[in-house]
Amino acid sequence: MHSEVVKVLEQTLNLKPTGVRMDADTPLLGAIPELDSMAVVAVITTLEERFGFTVADDEIDGSTFATAGSLVAFVKSKLGA
Amino acid sequence: MLPLAGGGRFCLFHPAASPAGGIGAAVYVHPFAEEMHKSRRMAALQARALADAGISVLQIDLLGCGDSAGEFGDATWSRWIDDVAEAVRWLHGRTGFVPLLWGLRSGCLLAHAALAKLPATPDLVFWQPVISGKQHLQQFLRLRVAGELIGRAGADRTSTNELRAQLEGGATLHIAGYALSPGLALGLDAADLAPRATRTRVAWLEVSGSDPPEVSPAGQMRVTAWQAAGSEVSAAAVAGLPFWQTQEIAQCAALIDATTAAVLRWRQ
Repeated sequence: MHSEVVKVLEQTLNLKPTGVRMDADTPLLGAIPELDSMAVVAVITTLEERFGFTVADDEIDGSTFATAGSLVAFVKSKLGA
Repeated sequence: MLPLAGGGRFCLFHPAASPAGGIGAAVYVHPFAEEMHKSRRMAALQARALADAGISVLQIDLLGCGDSAGEFGDATWSRWIDDVAEAVRWLHGRTGFVPLLWGLRSGCLLAHAALAKLPATPDLVFWQPVISGKQHLQQFLRLRVAGELIGRAGADRTSTNELRAQLEGGATLHIAGYALSPGLALGLDAADLAPRATRTRVAWLEVSGSDPPEVSPAGQMRVTAWQAAGSEVSAAAVAGLPFWQTQEIAQCAALIDATTAAVLRWRQ
């Protein structure tokens, strides 16, 4: 699941491969300049369509996008895994 | 211009180039709001490719879209479904073929809903179909609250639930430059790409950024459900950019080739 979510992040934000693998502690919001508010919307949209769930706005806030690990944990919770 | 309720609908007709009279027909059903504009070039390229292969294509601008009559705020979901059915009737009369319906994104939901208004079941081409209208509406409403999602704490921000409540109360919302009427939003909200009880042939095509390209897990689940219900669905993914949403206008030649090939297989 981690690699699936990282793939969505890289493709949606059009991140150049840096050779550094994102791990669970990699910070996202505030650390990746491409991740502005519209990009957050794009990431949510892509995850929704890819995995087939719907996100209500009160389910997410800045902390969801704090690290790669927090985002993966959120997706897992949506999938009930 | 197709004269329909609410004024003329602007249409582009691409008659089959060869052989004489062609071998089939197709109606293109465009997606919603900004996605329609982003995908104009791909729609035009595919329409020409099909016409060259002997399939006459009609592109219709739905009420309030593109060069058709009305404002976006006048559009309702049921009016759009009727527009699609009228386009099919016109093209059937013109070519003598039952046109297949080719939709992109939310256009697939409209094409699916239009089937109930048509005498014969046409073949379907789905390009990156929106499976759930509720999800699609939620994504559109989210554009209004995007800036607040990661900023303010839960209680202080406008929620999409509030926007939904305003629509249900009869209010038209202004989002991303579009006037969204309750009649359009709530119709979209209720739309779903549900498997059909009638056996239907479907080419389900997705554009994928993965290597190798793959149909999304959510798409694959729905394809399996359609197949289980008795429809003949061929699903495939091609490599490319999501041209309906990219900042720069993008093309995907592999999608055009795969689509033309799928349509021609049905005509053999």
